[in-house]
This record gives sequence, C-alpha cells and structure tokens, in this order.
Amino acid sequence: MTKRYVLVHDENKCIGCQACNVACRSENNVPESVTRIQVRVEGPYGNFPNLHFKYNRVSCEQCEDAPCVKVCPTGAAYVNDDGIVSINEKKCVGCLYCVAACPYKVRFINPETRVPDKCDFCKESRLARGEDPACVSVCPTQALAFGDANDSTSEVSQLLDTKNHYQHKVNLGTKPRVYRIPSRKGGIKV
Amino acid sequence: MKLDRRTFIKGAGAGTAGCALAALPGSIAALGSVSVKGSETSIASSCEMCSTRCPISARVVNGKNVSILGNKKAKSFGGAVCARGGAGHSLLYDKQRIVKPLKRVGERGEGKWAEIEWDEAYRLIAENLNKIKAKHGAESVAFSSKSGSLEGHLFHLAKTFGSPNTFTHASTCPAGYVVAAKAIFGGKIKRDLSNSKYIINFGHNLYEGINMSETRGMMNAQMEKGAKLVVFEPRFSIVADKADEWYAIKPGTDVAVALAICHTLINDDLYDKDFVAQYVEGFDEFAKEVKNYTPEWAEAISDVPAEDIRRITHEYAAAAPHALVDFGHRSSFTTEEFEMRRALYAANVLVGNIERKGGLYFGKKASSYNKYAGEKVAPTLSKPGVKDLPKIDAKRIDMVDEQYSLLWSSGGIYQTILDATLEAVPYQLHGWVMSRTNPMQTMTDRARIVESMQKLDFVVACDLYITESAAYADVFLPESTYLERDEEIKDKSGKNPAYYVRQRVVDTIGDTKPSWQIWKEVADKLGLGEYFPWENMQTLQMFQVNKDVSLLDKIKNDGWVSYGKPLMLREPGMVNTFVAEYPNAISPDEDKTYASHLSFKTPSGKIELSSNKVEKMAPGRGVIKYREVTMKKADELFFIQGKVAVHTNGATQNVPMLASLMSDNALWIHPITAGHMGISSGDKIRIYNDTGSEEGHALVTPGIRPDTVFAYMGCGSKNKELARATGKGIHCGNLLPHVTSPVTGMNLHTTGVKIAKI
Ligand code: SF4
Ligand code: SF4
Ligand code: SF4
Repeated sequence: MTKRYVLVHDENKCIGCQACNVACRSENNVPESVTRIQVRVEGPYGNFPNLHFKYNRVSCEQCEDAPCVKVCPTGAAYVNDDGIVSINEKKCVGCLYCVAACPYKVRFINPETRVPDKCDFCKESRLARGEDPACVSVCPTQALAFGDANDSTSEVSQLLDTKNHYQHKVNLGTKPRVYRIPSRKGGIKV
Repeated sequence: MKLDRRTFIKGAGAGTAGCALAALPGSIAALGSVSVKGSETSIASSCEMCSTRCPISARVVNGKNVSILGNKKAKSFGGAVCARGGAGHSLLYDKQRIVKPLKRVGERGEGKWAEIEWDEAYRLIAENLNKIKAKHGAESVAFSSKSGSLEGHLFHLAKTFGSPNTFTHASTCPAGYVVAAKAIFGGKIKRDLSNSKYIINFGHNLYEGINMSETRGMMNAQMEKGAKLVVFEPRFSIVADKADEWYAIKPGTDVAVALAICHTLINDDLYDKDFVAQYVEGFDEFAKEVKNYTPEWAEAISDVPAEDIRRITHEYAAAAPHALVDFGHRSSFTTEEFEMRRALYAANVLVGNIERKGGLYFGKKASSYNKYAGEKVAPTLSKPGVKDLPKIDAKRIDMVDEQYSLLWSSGGIYQTILDATLEAVPYQLHGWVMSRTNPMQTMTDRARIVESMQKLDFVVACDLYITESAAYADVFLPESTYLERDEEIKDKSGKNPAYYVRQRVVDTIGDTKPSWQIWKEVADKLGLGEYFPWENMQTLQMFQVNKDVSLLDKIKNDGWVSYGKPLMLREPGMVNTFVAEYPNAISPDEDKTYASHLSFKTPSGKIELSSNKVEKMAPGRGVIKYREVTMKKADELFFIQGKVAVHTNGATQNVPMLASLMSDNALWIHPITAGHMGISSGDKIRIYNDTGSEEGHALVTPGIRPDTVFAYMGCGSKNKELARATGKGIHCGNLLPHVTSPVTGMNLHTTGVKIAKI
C-alpha cells in the first residue's frame, strides 16, 4: 500500500454546522433516513461558567484492521489498495455481519440499495475525479483535512506532526484512520 | 412505470404513509413532475437559502440530484457552503413545493385551494388591486418583500401602482445596527474580523447564524492568527464555546457593559486622542455622559464582574487598532436597541480602528476605488432608470413620526402594516402584496397578524411553499427557486470592488416563474406595462454592463469577479501596495496613508458620537445614554431566541433535508430552574405570557442562565400546508409582544414568559 489516506477533524475549528452531512448526502446519494456522517454537538460538559461542547464526528473510521472486513464471509467488505475500506455490492449477500461487527456503529443498510453503506472517503464520487471528499471541500471553517499520511509534505502529515491528536477506541486495535485534534477546552475524551 | 399524474398519486398514496398532503393542490406531488433536468457542468451562481447569498457552484448529478458547493473564485468564501446552502436541491424538488398558481376557495386561512392558470391569477390581482385603488387610493395597498433582486422588482411595481408603502424584513431583524451606523457614520460599515487580534462579541453568533466570509474570517483569526475572542451572551452558544472568555450576561443589559467599556477607555486614558480630534464630533458630550458608567455600575446591572470589564477593556485597547467590538446583526434585545448599537460603535471609534486592519471599514465600490487609483480598475454598473414614473403624494404609513426617518432606505417599519390595517393608523390599508416574506414567523404578536390578514380586502402571496403567511392569501403565485432563476448582477464590494450574479442551474419545474417576470406581468395586466421597458433578465443585465458583452460573459463564467487589491484608507501597508500597483493613484498623506480622504456622510462630515440631527428627530437621544428597561415581570423568566446553523429564520423549516436535521426547538432551561418546577429534559411544557401560549418540550442544560429560557427561532408553524414543520416546537413570534423601539423602529425580541409542566 503506497498511499495511506487519512482524515483529520480539528474539533477546535468545527462548529457542528452539518454542512458536511448535507454535502455528503448530495454527492453520494445518501437517502434521507440514514447518514454516512454526522457531527454530534455533545454537552455542554463542565461546571458553569467553565463549560464546553464536544464536536464528535461520527463516520466510518477507515480502520486499518477493520472488524467489518474480517467478518465478511464473501469478501464484499474489503480493503482497497488505497487503504479505503470499501463495499462490493455485487458480492454482498446481506448477512449483516459487518454491521454488527463495526465497533463504531457507522454501518447502515441503505434503504434504496439494500446493501450496507458507509463513508468511503468519497472514493467513487470525488476521489475518482481528483477532488477532495465532499465534507472536506465544503466545511465552512476548514475543520477537515484529507490526504495521504505517507506523504510527509501533505497537509495531514503536517497536522499530525504538529498538533496534539487522538483516535477513537484505540484499545480495540482497529487502528482508525480518522484523527481528531481535541478542543483546547475539552481536552481528550475518547 | 410511466410517471404521469395519475400513476404518481396512486404510488404516492401507497408509499408515503402518513403524508396526507401528498396531493396538496398545485404541489409537485399533485402534478407528478419530479425529474430534474439542467446543466451537468458546474454553473457559477449564488445561494438563496439565507440572505448572505454566498457564491456557489452547482451542477445536476445524474438527472436526480443537484450538487451545490461553494464557488472557489470567491476567496473569502473559500469554496464552502453551509448545510442550508448544500440542501438547496432538497427544496427544489420537494413534493410539497407549490408549482402552480392557486386561488383560495374556502375561508381565508382555511387551507382550501384551487389550481388556476397564470392568466386568471393576474386577472384576479388586477381586478382587486384596481378596485381598491379606485375606492381608497393606491397607498392603501402595502407591498413587502424579501430583500435582494426580488425587492427591487416588487417595489418598482408598487411605485408604478402609486403606493409608497413598501417594506422589507429589516425592522424585524437587522435594522438596529444599520440605523445606528447611519446616525454615527452616515452609512453602513463593515467589520474586518479576519485580521482582528481582539474581538469583543455581544452574542453575534457567527458560528450558528453563518455568514460564510465573516464566519471563516473570524475562525481564521482565532485559530491561525491567535486572536482573542470575548463573548457576552446569556446562553452558551457555539460562539460562546469557541470564545476565550464567556460571560453569561443578563439579557438586555449589553448596553451597560458597552458603555462601561467606553467609560474605561476614556477614564483610563486608553482612547486614541489623535483620531478623536481629527474625526469625531460630539466627543465631549459623550465623555460627560459616560463618566458615570463605571464597570462597577455595569456589574450591578449586567452580572459581568467589574474587574473583568476593566481588564478586557485594557486588553482590547492594547490590541488596538487591530481590535474590534462586533456590532452584531439580528435582534432588538430591548427597546434601547439604538443606544446599544451606538455604544458598540462608540467602543470602536474610541480606539480609532476605522479603516484599520482588524477594525471597521467602508465598502469600496468601483466608483470610489477607481478615484483613488486614478484609473478604471473596476467597471461600474448602470442602473436602468425608468422615466416619468407617477409621483406619489401619499405619506408612508410608518413615517408619521420623524424619529424613524433614518430607517426608510432599509425598508421601513414592517409591523406598521398591522397598525394601519387594524386601527387605520395613520390611515386604512386594504390590500397586501407579499413576495417571499413570512411575517407570521419573523414579526412579533402572531395573533395580530392573523387578525390583520383576515381584515384586509385582498392579499397576494408569491412564494415557494404555502408558508404560514401565504396561507392567508387570496391568490398564491408560485415563484421559481433560485436554482431556476437568472437575476441581475449585484455589487458585493468589500475592501475592493466585487460583483456576482445568480444564474439558472436547472430547468424550471412545474409552472413557476421568477418574480421579476411575475411582477412585470402583473404590471401589464394593471395597465402599467410601459414602466417595465426591459424584455427579460438578459436585457437588464446587458443594460447593467453598458452592453459590454465580454464583461457580462466574464461575470457569468466566473460567477464572482473582484478587482484590485484590498484597500483600507488608514492602513499604511495596504496604501503602499495600492500606490505601487497604480501609478496614477492619489498620493498618500505624510503618514503614508489616505487618512485625509476619510470622510463621513453625516451632517458634520465627521463621526457623530453625539448627534444634533438625532436630537432633533428624537429629543433626548442626541447623546448616547443608558435608560432602564423592564423586560419581564418579577415572576417571569427572560425569553430569548437565536439562530441555528441548519435553518434560516422562518424560511427553511419545511425543506426535507433540513427538517430531517432539526424539526423542533426545545426550550433551554437551567437545571436549577427546571428543578423547582420538576421539569426534566424531554418533558412537555407550556410557555405563556400576556401575548400568547405555546406548547413545547424542555431541554435542561447548564448552558443558559437560571433566570432565562432560550429557543431557536422559526419552528412551530401553524398552517397545515407546511406538513413537515407544523406543530413542531415553539413558535417564538407567538410569545413576543408588539412593541416598536424608538429610532430604529424595530420589533422587540426579548420578553418574559412563564412555564408550566403539562
Ligand atoms: S462542516 Fe465542518 S464545521 Fe461543520 S460540522 Fe462538518 S466538520 Fe464541523
Ligand atoms: S469504522 Fe466500522 S465500518 Fe469503518 S472500517 Fe472500522 S469497522 Fe469497518
Ligand atoms: S468522506 Fe465523503 S463519504 Fe465520507 S463522510 Fe465525507 S463526504 Fe461522506
């Protein structure tokens, strides 16, 4: 694998506005009742007046060691050369093992295609055209950065080199490729 | 399956369980037209999901969807759109959208409609308006509109018809800061958040009420350039969360803190004396007045500790002139709105941040920019003048009082339509023509609006949905959405000149028309066609660019064009770059700036911290002064409202994609307050006062003062045509009393309420 696509969510810059959620929908034809991404504004935590919100991006973590892929009996859930955890609709038999196995609860059944669906870093819609993922392009406050972490000159590499960051549920050994820069007020809470 | 009307309805009946309105007359559902055709390559246009009008780039995807992103050419917008902007297509082919003219067939507001042809709609309008005109005079018809291109065309119709009574939503939303700026600076002023090193903010929540370039500018200043942000707001909003310091100020007392900041600047000798000497009129009177407004005095009123006000003021002055006090946007917190906004401006004036980086500045339109440059850097646009318009003798209904005369150009006092209709003050109104405006949500005292609508002889509404207000119309005219419309070129100059344009991206769905065409055709039917000499939008655009086809092509291709380098008159670096770029530029002053060219359109030509003009208009208000106000009764809680990032005031609650993100506005209550009443999160509650009563549910959160409750505005529609939004949440306008603030003419947005668990 020469590329290692990762996504960095800077929770300082995120304002929970859901522009990413909406842009992802129109770019990837995500039906109304389900979603590939949400940013949950959680809280406020703390004691008045020292309160803070948490801006929690909920989307596929693009695990390097993906439980959803491991349990898939047909190879419909697979990891591509670019490291993106993908779904081959044709091979899917609808057993829903992957939905159950995902510890981040971000896989869902697309009510139109009846196949599991989730964030794929806009692989077919935008990466194919050489564009950044929809959520990254549209974010009003540039809270999102996407790119190849193997390229030391990329924006994501530089962010990961210079900023304090964390990932969700690292204890599970899934090695998520969504990195989070914690809010300077909130600190790291996983 | 062929999607003709009959099969579609059959399908819809089976498929969309619970959606009893699938066949609302005139809706896309009733007509069965659902396919989206249009440009598959990106078209540069401008958004209309809120009033910021961000530049967008949109294309039709697979005949099914429209992808809307920001236009990268507009740098300060960064190619971004917010959730509302991205959801534009969801409005476009929403099955509940109305795409055929309608006429009322039941009682007004009863919800019984019949589809009609455009011609019949125009005939009904012409007959009724001409009848009113003959009997009561043209001035007895009021015209109100969403601001922008739409407003221009409707107000032109009003003028040719003979009515002076035209209104925008200004007095229900942003008029306060505009009127105050006119009094002090002689006109509108802008804020350079992106270069600011210290920002003091009084609840201007740019992180939820998103204005793309300002929101980005402020985030950039905070995160990349280390600017400090201090927020005074009764609620823990997103902007409060992102602040370095947040103070849960008592509602309606912002003016006290702002005046204490001014006091400290003067008292502790922190203000810019040279600036004041050169540019300011009325400083002494102001200084005398604020002498008593100490931080200790403000603390007693506002609950903000005096030592913090003092420290913040010192920090602010140390960062000046690259520091600003944000003068805000929507909301009349109290009837002292005029004094409050002026106090905020005064805090800027005192540190001399006018035309400095990170401070306040005036827009540089082509004509003034070219003058500085000594050459034609940017093209100027022409306005089509229509000759021999009939003269209107009748007085406007809102200008009975001289004190409001600063307001007119921003659209008048909208709520006076109700006084004129119900009480014949200053005279009786008989008709109302509205275009994309929804006073039932944005004005106060909803019950009075219903009463007014029912009393009028004739009401026309032009809109996309049968909004709460349109529900009371006699004739409904379906407008094309912004994705289906071409419009005039508009000026969006900031520190340098810029133009942008709205262009059609998709073919028109159903039988709708752009409103410029609707009002032109209404004029034809009224026999006023001669005053609308343009054929269509192309003719108008061509006129604007003085037939310069290549200019028009460029604006249309890029969607956004800007010219020259940013210029702030008192910023040496910028003036330097400017002069280097343009050899014929006006030569700078000794201090290497254009400071001597800075002038103000006030009577004195200076910044008027105290104003004789205002004193004459509204005796006692020449000097900025604190007056106590009563916002609520002793046993009530303050009720405040605000904006959320996924909705625009009273306009987007029914848009499917946005309704699915948020369809309800729970009432924020502090745990202590909720505890006294035994209320937990999610409980059903009644919120009531002398104006109205609403049912909603509670959100118990420490992010609000114990004496205050909060709701996002725009929810709780009451007409059944807005099927997704109706009955969900609290309708704020139903709880706010009908009060007009002095000088600004604004509606009041803070009041008292009681709460009971149900
Ligand atoms: S668009 Fe950006 S700021 Fe808005 S919620 Fe998504 S990540 Fe956060
Ligand atoms: S987050 Fe879930 S769906 Fe995504 S790769 Fe990991 S296990 Fe699979
Ligand atoms: S990367 Fe693409 S698919 Fe994933 S959340 Fe962002 S927009 Fe959606």
